[in-house]
Amino acid sequence: MKIPLVGQPNSGKSTLFNAVAGFRSLTSNFAGTTVEYTRGQARVDGELLDLIDLPGIYSLAACTAVEKVTRDFLLNDDWDVIVNVVDASQLARSLELTLELLDLESPLVICLNMMDEASRKGMTIDAHELQMALGVPVVEAIGSRGRGIIETFRAAREYAARGGRARPFVYAPEAERLLAELAEKIAAHTNAQPQGALKTALAPVEDTEWNTQSGVEPVFTPPLRVHSCGGGHLCAGCSMGTPAVKAGHDAPLRSWAVVSPAVAADHEQHRYAESALAGLAVLPGQSSITLPASAARNFPRDRFQAMQWVQCDPLQIRGERPEIAEDVEWAQKSISAHSGLPADAAISAARHAACLSVFERVTRLARPSVDWREKIDRVAMHPVWGYVLLLTVFLGFFQLIFNVGKPAEDRILNLFDGVVAALARHMNPHAAVFAGVKGAVLGTAGALAMVLPYLLPFLAGLAILEDFGYLARAGYLMDAVMHRLGLHGTATLPILVGYGCSVPAVMATRLLTTRRDRFIAAFLAVLVPCSARMSVIFALVGFYLSANYALGIYALNLLVVAATGNLLARLWPEVSPGMLMEVPSYRLPAARVVALKTWWRLREFVLVAAPMLVAGSVVLSLVDYYGWSHGINVGLSPLTAMLGLPRSVGLTLIFGVLRKELSLMMLMQALGTTHVLGVMTDAQILIFTLFVTFYLPCMATLAAMMREVGWRLTLGASSALLVLAVVVCLGARGVLALV
Amino acid sequence: MRPITDLTPNLSLYEAEDSADLRILLITGGWQVRRSFNQMGIQTGDRVRVLRRAPFGGPVVIDNQGSQVAIGKQLAEKVQVEILP
Repeated sequence: MKIPLVGQPNSGKSTLFNAVAGFRSLTSNFAGTTVEYTRGQARVDGELLDLIDLPGIYSLAACTAVEKVTRDFLLNDDWDVIVNVVDASQLARSLELTLELLDLESPLVICLNMMDEASRKGMTIDAHELQMALGVPVVEAIGSRGRGIIETFRAAREYAARGGRARPFVYAPEAERLLAELAEKIAAHTNAQPQGALKTALAPVEDTEWNTQSGVEPVFTPPLRVHSCGGGHLCAGCSMGTPAVKAGHDAPLRSWAVVSPAVAADHEQHRYAESALAGLAVLPGQSSITLPASAARNFPRDRFQAMQWVQCDPLQIRGERPEIAEDVEWAQKSISAHSGLPADAAISAARHAACLSVFERVTRLARPSVDWREKIDRVAMHPVWGYVLLLTVFLGFFQLIFNVGKPAEDRILNLFDGVVAALARHMNPHAAVFAGVKGAVLGTAGALAMVLPYLLPFLAGLAILEDFGYLARAGYLMDAVMHRLGLHGTATLPILVGYGCSVPAVMATRLLTTRRDRFIAAFLAVLVPCSARMSVIFALVGFYLSANYALGIYALNLLVVAATGNLLARLWPEVSPGMLMEVPSYRLPAARVVALKTWWRLREFVLVAAPMLVAGSVVLSLVDYYGWSHGINVGLSPLTAMLGLPRSVGLTLIFGVLRKELSLMMLMQALGTTHVLGVMTDAQILIFTLFVTFYLPCMATLAAMMREVGWRLTLGASSALLVLAVVVCLGARGVLALV
Repeated sequence: MRPITDLTPNLSLYEAEDSADLRILLITGGWQVRRSFNQMGIQTGDRVRVLRRAPFGGPVVIDNQGSQVAIGKQLAEKVQVEILP
């Protein structure tokens, strides 16, 4: 049985998944994208369940790549029952996605997770009442303590086995008629037969089957009615006189009446009365409209798609499905005409009102208890102490990684040097084969020396900060700064991570929604000196010149980052409207989730970057063997001459692309001495270091970038970085000449 | 429906004072702005409260039905609110 897990970000989906699916789960990408999901298997009551942990989304609208693939997965793939994981402490907001899922009219079970957090917030949620309101099974859970998890999957199994199925919230008849008509038109264009998962759901459903599905307890209770009268008075028919709905009445909006699934025939009349009140009066001459739901019910996928398209941006529709654009726009106009709102706003307002009234029906609120979480935020989000803490946390973090990583790295490299020495004894050290093998061994050593000492603690630490909820606070604090760079607070993470290692930094740009933001963030993240470049800066400039010069390079780098960000933001003006980010509650990270997260990201590095490192190392080893280094130095001589560097450093710059700190080691080798000052002047050391800091990112980073933003932009970024490095170095040369 | 003149004077969410009870009257801006707010469960008619704000024109954090959302300056300025008594 295949069970997709769908939920909003931070709903504890992964905790639930990892609690049962275990370490053997696989991450995969959706075909042709970098959006990931995780698959795993779990045995519940003797049956093997296939679990699919879909990425967290706030809605099914296809705005971002993540939402699009999730929606397409739900529409096109085969699965048996959805488990919708809901953060009980965010119930009102979470229900928005739940209501969209109901529209799929397929088997659905709700896992009401984080009940402990909800009660800490002073919320008492009546799960039974929620089950009544939504018409699908609701299971209470505290995922972090393993409670309710098995029960959730058991309920899902049973619900699917007995043929249970969610019913959508039904909009006012006028709206439903429009939707059904649009669905038909879209279907005619697509001319596709219903397929996939929903095949089972497509057979006409008899209401009798529906009402007696469990045989014991009717899942549905009286219909939920939200109506918006549009008039200033409180209408007598409004049984939902809750504050939220009243607020809706007062506000200048007229949303559609929404009625719950169970409505069926007996409430037909009431609904007509309501829709009239709602300003959705049945059009003259069409007073005999019958409920079109029968058609819609037979083709839930079509109704669902019609619903989704109606909420889309007309421009997007014209781009993606030009053949249906006209029909959708017609429907949108009709909806606007009836509701006085843009089509998407009308639908989401109606849905929102429904969410709030379900929320108010099932929840009782008391005073929240103030505990350590609130106290942390008083410091962590404070206008002064927040920044002090941010700086402390990240400096401490990098310090820790560097102190742990450096000795470990030396040991790994020594170990592999031993391997090469041993190989030299058993092979002909003058053969090309040996050069190749040596290159491969040293490449592997390089990859390992990067992964184990630096990347592993780095990714683990990052996963802890992320799961704890601190990264969101960092984004909040840095939003204003990031705006100067043409980005938002969400882009803080990649840039901070860039100071550690560019590879995870580039991978972290995946959090950003638009391609533009991803590109700018990745560009700036690789511009920031990573820890490998830091070692070059401190070992050359810091050692031979002074620590102040080294810090000066960092300051110069910050200026260049700011200027570049500003320039890029101008060249590629912003389309996204700004930061809108959930501030999650602090949560103690679960060791298991952190371990898995770290492992998956590490695995990705190994798959993407390590092959490049090994291959590059082999090539360079052969270059060395065949004595092409002279040719390369000559080839690069225009560059080295322009920068006023000795010709023999040309090759070290090529090595630097493989791994940044290699340019340091190779420099000593190329110059044939460890006393760099004897061969290079202060100015040359400074220029060389500046160039290494700014020019091309290392190969592993390039591979990661290629994956995230595509090869065109990677190529563009690389050329831009090369030009930038030359410009910076020439500028520095000019300044030095003056001094 | 209340007369439209009640909407004036305009007060944006960004300008509203901290911890006052507010009601969202209107979300201006295009499809994408509306969409992003709707996704986070923020709609016209909702009662919200500004909890804190970041310095240098940074975002404001609001509380909406128990969920905290950070809203950047540009977006917060697109939300018109009234102060509830």
